[in-house]
Amino acid sequence: MSGSIGPSDKKSVNVELNIVPFIDLMSCLTAFLLVTAVWVNIAQINIQPKGKTRDQAQVQQDDEHVTLSVLVQSDRIWVGLSRVNEFQDIPKKAGAENEQDWEKFEATLKEHKTSAFFTNPERNDLEIAAESTAAAPVKYQDIIHAMDIAVKVGFTDVGLSDPQGLAARPSL
Amino acid sequence: MPVHSAGPRLYRSVKFKHLVREAGSAAGSRPTDISLNLTPFVDMMTILVTFLLMVFSSTGQLLEAQKGLELPIADSRETLQQAPVIIVTKSDITYQGQLIATVESVMRDDSPTFKIDALFERLDAAAKKIKEDVANGKGPKDLTTACEKAKANIRPGRGEVICPDGLAILQADESTDARLINKIVNTAKAAGFDNLLFAVKNK
Repeated sequence: MSGSIGPSDKKSVNVELNIVPFIDLMSCLTAFLLVTAVWVNIAQINIQPKGKTRDQAQVQQDDEHVTLSVLVQSDRIWVGLSRVNEFQDIPKKAGAENEQDWEKFEATLKEHKTSAFFTNPERNDLEIAAESTAAAPVKYQDIIHAMDIAVKVGFTDVGLSDPQGLAARPSL
Repeated sequence: MPVHSAGPRLYRSVKFKHLVREAGSAAGSRPTDISLNLTPFVDMMTILVTFLLMVFSSTGQLLEAQKGLELPIADSRETLQQAPVIIVTKSDITYQGQLIATVESVMRDDSPTFKIDALFERLDAAAKKIKEDVANGKGPKDLTTACEKAKANIRPGRGEVICPDGLAILQADESTDARLINKIVNTAKAAGFDNLLFAVKNK
């Protein structure tokens, strides 16, 4: 910014600052930032789809491995361990809210995370499946919510599976 | 209308009495300079620029806004990275901006393969091309490092770049039926995209 000591009066101590270039720069920057601004913050949830890939002839199954499986249905969520075959049923909240009981789901996952099966810090895998039918549809938002909670609890290796492909599946 | 010769006549024809003490005295002894206080303007500009610089993000530009597409909400704060985008709106399924199928037609299809054939063809071709590029070491160095880690079965940590081989973004509407999501995930997996990023909106 340029500055000059004003005019002929030797006693004057007023300093004139030319702020025109500053205002020009600010105006241009404001216009540019307003045009390029992204007002919606987009994030990601990284998942590994379970099942057969192009390069894989068969789905690998490790029989020694205990897997935590989550089945999201329109009216409830099942959480179960493979090989142990214990399932926890988390029904939808009663009343006007008509939404899944996410608080209870989070508490259940926390319980499993601290259980003996997942004490190894490398054990942070979990599989999720959604069973949706025309009569009882499950929305994508519910799958995302379940995955989001799983990641928050510490199951960072989330896999999405078919309901039939779950390692632990409740027999209804 | 009379014709006047060119020249300044602001204070003669338009009398800014509130600005100058005496009309037409521009040439006189009294000064006619108008001082405009620019301080609030500069303050406002500075605050605005600071705010815009703080919220500036180029992540959202990876994704296109679509009609009939409301992203699901999540707490996740991981930033998206560049990858082929599959978009599922309330009515259509598009890949890289090209229409693949309508949601209705896919939902009507009860084939036991649980695959969307048109999408599979596109994804298969894209996966092969990406694989080739990765094998030839095309792309930035951090991506090459990420691919070497992926080969060694080391999962990328939070905020780290993911190897583009087998990486795709699914940008689906929050009300999409889970059956459709399953079909798309199966199709992507079969085509070689075994690492999916689900685009979400932050709370």
